[in-house]
Amino acid sequence: MASVRSFEAGDVDAVADLFQRLLRKSGQPANDDLKAYIHTLFLDGANRDAGLFSRVHVRTDGTVSGFLGVLPVEMQFEGRRLLAANCGTFACDDRDSDPFAGARLLRDVLSGPQDLSFSETSNDISTDMWRTMRAGVLASYSLEWLRILKPAAFALEAVAGKVSAARLLSPVAKLGDAILCRRGGKQTWSHYAPLAGKADAFAATPADNAEFAALGVELVAQFPLRPAWDQPTLEAMLKHAERKALHGERIQHIVRARSGKPVGLYLYYGNPGGIGRAVQVMAAPGQEAIVIDCLIRNAHERGLVAVRGRTQPQLLQAMIGKKCAFLHTSSTVVHARDPAILAALTHGQPFLNGLAGEGWTRLIGDRFG
Amino acid sequence: MSDETRTAIRAFIVENFLFGDDSQPLAADLSLIDNDLIDSTGILELVGFLEERFAITITDADIVPANLDTIDRIAGFIARKQAA
Repeated sequence: MASVRSFEAGDVDAVADLFQRLLRKSGQPANDDLKAYIHTLFLDGANRDAGLFSRVHVRTDGTVSGFLGVLPVEMQFEGRRLLAANCGTFACDDRDSDPFAGARLLRDVLSGPQDLSFSETSNDISTDMWRTMRAGVLASYSLEWLRILKPAAFALEAVAGKVSAARLLSPVAKLGDAILCRRGGKQTWSHYAPLAGKADAFAATPADNAEFAALGVELVAQFPLRPAWDQPTLEAMLKHAERKALHGERIQHIVRARSGKPVGLYLYYGNPGGIGRAVQVMAAPGQEAIVIDCLIRNAHERGLVAVRGRTQPQLLQAMIGKKCAFLHTSSTVVHARDPAILAALTHGQPFLNGLAGEGWTRLIGDRFG
Repeated sequence: MSDETRTAIRAFIVENFLFGDDSQPLAADLSLIDNDLIDSTGILELVGFLEERFAITITDADIVPANLDTIDRIAGFIARKQAA
């Protein structure tokens, strides 16, 4: 009979294959680099003391047909230590012919030993399943913000994602953007103008993992429900995040006032001519707009055509008036059996997504092999 | 297994998976999976409904086609659970 059990070393090949086919949508077989990474992330990273493991669905013939990856996260809420299950990687074969696999996996994981569970990359099908399990969907965490910097080049880049020959038109796009941007004036939806502003009084400078992690630990403390990061934990995550070959060069900056006092940080990936992807933006209370301005200005100076990232409520507030577009591609969903924890998740502005989600892993944005 | 049980299951399926359309007869031995009446979300909804309506606890191992694929199988499963 088909069953659900903990993920084991012998399942790595099958799970890597599911990931490659169903989540990366690639016809190439999973390579050794991907397999090794899945082992590191989901087996070495399991919380064995608490019994919190990733789970697989196994067919009657013993083959693996589904996987729900669980990354354990220590969290903190009102002085209490909580164990969270970060459930980002969810893939099932034979979804139409065997709808039981996904249902059993999700039900099994959500009934685990953790205090709360979440995913920041839940697609519409998974979100419906989470909702059925009485999970909450966090609207203000489930939007992608997008700031277009060079409209013609952005449109071209978006098309080139599907048809790479479109890049042959880039000289035309450059000319179009030069004409548009020459108009100067105020900020518009269509393009970015590097105007003088409050952000001029601040400087964004590269930070190594140790500096970045130290500030991250400090800034996360303002959130009542947050990851219980310590320096080594966050540094280890930043180590994972050092390379995202599909997204571009890593830009890891701390934003400081003229006095040298840090007011925030950002981590994004992007190459000149491409669309940047922000994994994390954090700021001291009230300084969110400054940090966002510094990020957008940096992306513009580096020649990116647009930059995008995931919203959090504080960032969403600060983005009003910054000519960002907001789109929905996947959802942040949260589940807890304790009503007080669920209320803190759904109404209490927890710190989720990005470094407190799945954005730091190589599974998002890196090339394997 | 009583007719009342079957009626309740049928009403739930019509309401939730057929969106209230009861113009076609829903045979008690009709496979919900083979006829695309139920997906992963539907299974979770069905399990939640059965637990609440019939005061039974459904374990992971119970969530298999042998127990939940037809109205007959669901009714038999409930009867076994309640008798246990």
